Amino acid sequence: MKELGKLHQLIIPLWGYSITINLEVILMTWIVFAVLIALGFAATRKRDILPRPIQTLGELFISLLYGLTEDALGKERARQYAPLICALFMFLLISNWIGLVPNLDEPTKDLNTTLGLGLMGFVIAHYAGIKTKGFKAYIKEYFQPIFFMMPLNLIGEVAKIVSISFRLFGNIMGGSIIILVVSHLTYSIVLPPFLYAFFGLFVGTIQAFVFTMLTVVYISVQVK
Amino acid sequence: MAWNVETIISLAAYSGGGLAMGLGAIGAAIGEGQTAAQANLAISRSPKASGEIFKNMLIGQAVAESASIFALVIAILLLFADFSEPNLIKAAAFFGAGLSMGLGAIGSGIGSGLPAGEACSGISRQPAVTSQLTTNMLIGSAVCQTPAIFSMVVALMLIFIDFSGSPLQPTWAALLGAGLSMGLSAIGSGYGGGLAAGASCEGIARQPRSVASVTTTMLVGQAVSQTPSIFGLLISFILMFKSFPESTSLAAAMGLLAAGICMGFGGIGPGIGNGMAAEGAVRWVARNAEHAGDLMRIMLVGQAVSQSTAIYAMVVSLVLIFVV
Repeated sequence: MKELGKLHQLIIPLWGYSITINLEVILMTWIVFAVLIALGFAATRKRDILPRPIQTLGELFISLLYGLTEDALGKERARQYAPLICALFMFLLISNWIGLVPNLDEPTKDLNTTLGLGLMGFVIAHYAGIKTKGFKAYIKEYFQPIFFMMPLNLIGEVAKIVSISFRLFGNIMGGSIIILVVSHLTYSIVLPPFLYAFFGLFVGTIQAFVFTMLTVVYISVQVK
Repeated sequence: MAWNVETIISLAAYSGGGLAMGLGAIGAAIGEGQTAAQANLAISRSPKASGEIFKNMLIGQAVAESASIFALVIAILLLFADFSEPNLIKAAAFFGAGLSMGLGAIGSGIGSGLPAGEACSGISRQPAVTSQLTTNMLIGSAVCQTPAIFSMVVALMLIFIDFSGSPLQPTWAALLGAGLSMGLSAIGSGYGGGLAAGASCEGIARQPRSVASVTTTMLVGQAVSQTPSIFGLLISFILMFKSFPESTSLAAAMGLLAAGICMGFGGIGPGIGNGMAAEGAVRWVARNAEHAGDLMRIMLVGQAVSQSTAIYAMVVSLVLIFVV
């Protein structure tokens, strides 16, 4: 039970500060990238009017996510943002599923990954907002309904990053802690496979979808 | 009777275990009763579908039960915990774990009974979409369990992580506060998520064609209803993992306990309120699927406003932890 909350870290001292790198998380992220690139390559190679199974899968997937983005953002902006949304969902999905493979861990179990993705969505949403509304109208929104609400509106925006990234992190890390403790208590008999199916496949898919949808909706709140 | 350290630790563990299971039994039982009541109504409305309705009721109740099964696991762990370590911090950690799990199971239990009940009455209305209703009910109820799962994670961390290196004086209050923050803030979020999921089952039964946009709206609405419990999780993580300097005065300890209580109670109302917003949005997306995008945006803006009270509670908790 000692491994609860332990991480392998590389700490580099640099001019009085220390840079901490979570080695496992970076390795796992690279594995996810490799899987995604391989899948993308397999799905787009030898494209045909009569698609092979993997091409069909890719097309279904992309058209589904493209449709969802179009519903929320409209035709014009979907062309711009849908590639990002598809990539985000696929990255999160593979990240959450990769824990099913023995000896591999979910990169989303680390707060740094989810916080990074949350920050990315935040920056993109606000960039889109400034671009459509103009800087003046964008700033003016923070002073609604009355000017002294500004600090609270600001905290509310920052709380969005906290909630979106902690939601994913809490679900994935919570699942892995529960699996760890239950496997330890039952000596890994019978129960753990069901738990992996629930937390890895089911919760992982739903949380990846929720994260992606929230990013889309945050963009759509900013641009309209 | 001797009041040695070991007695106090086992006292805390036993009372924590009792509270975990006792409080944890409240929610699931209410939720299951609600499901059974709706199932009765549904069978009397269309007796031909009674087999399907009965099966659906049992599946829904089994999912609603899981919150109290989490509580049972934590209670048993606490009853048979390791009392040999002579450190009073352990007593606070055990009691905090019991409170976190017991309170945290209430909302999710009641909440996940609602979609199960609506699915039963939906089957009586539209027997053709039984399998879609059951799937949607399962997704909705399982997502309702998220606050209870967070509470279980906090409870497991309190039980298993070794806090013996920290000074006793403020740490005991921090650990109790961590349990209270997570447990209380999970109540509203669990119930709110249930409201959204219930509306989605009702909506699918009325308009089976709108199933895709209803499920999407439900998931986003539930996720945002859970935000107060995520703030609770954040505060309890900070309380567990920040190292506090040793102090002899009671004020520092009370500040940390108050931070947990503040976030916990502050999260109840916004969780339910966000759930109501999501319920309304899901209900009307089902009837007017073309405008799902607009409805979802308005829902999110409304939820952001009702959530601001949870943000105030979080700010006060953070001030209590880091400034005062």
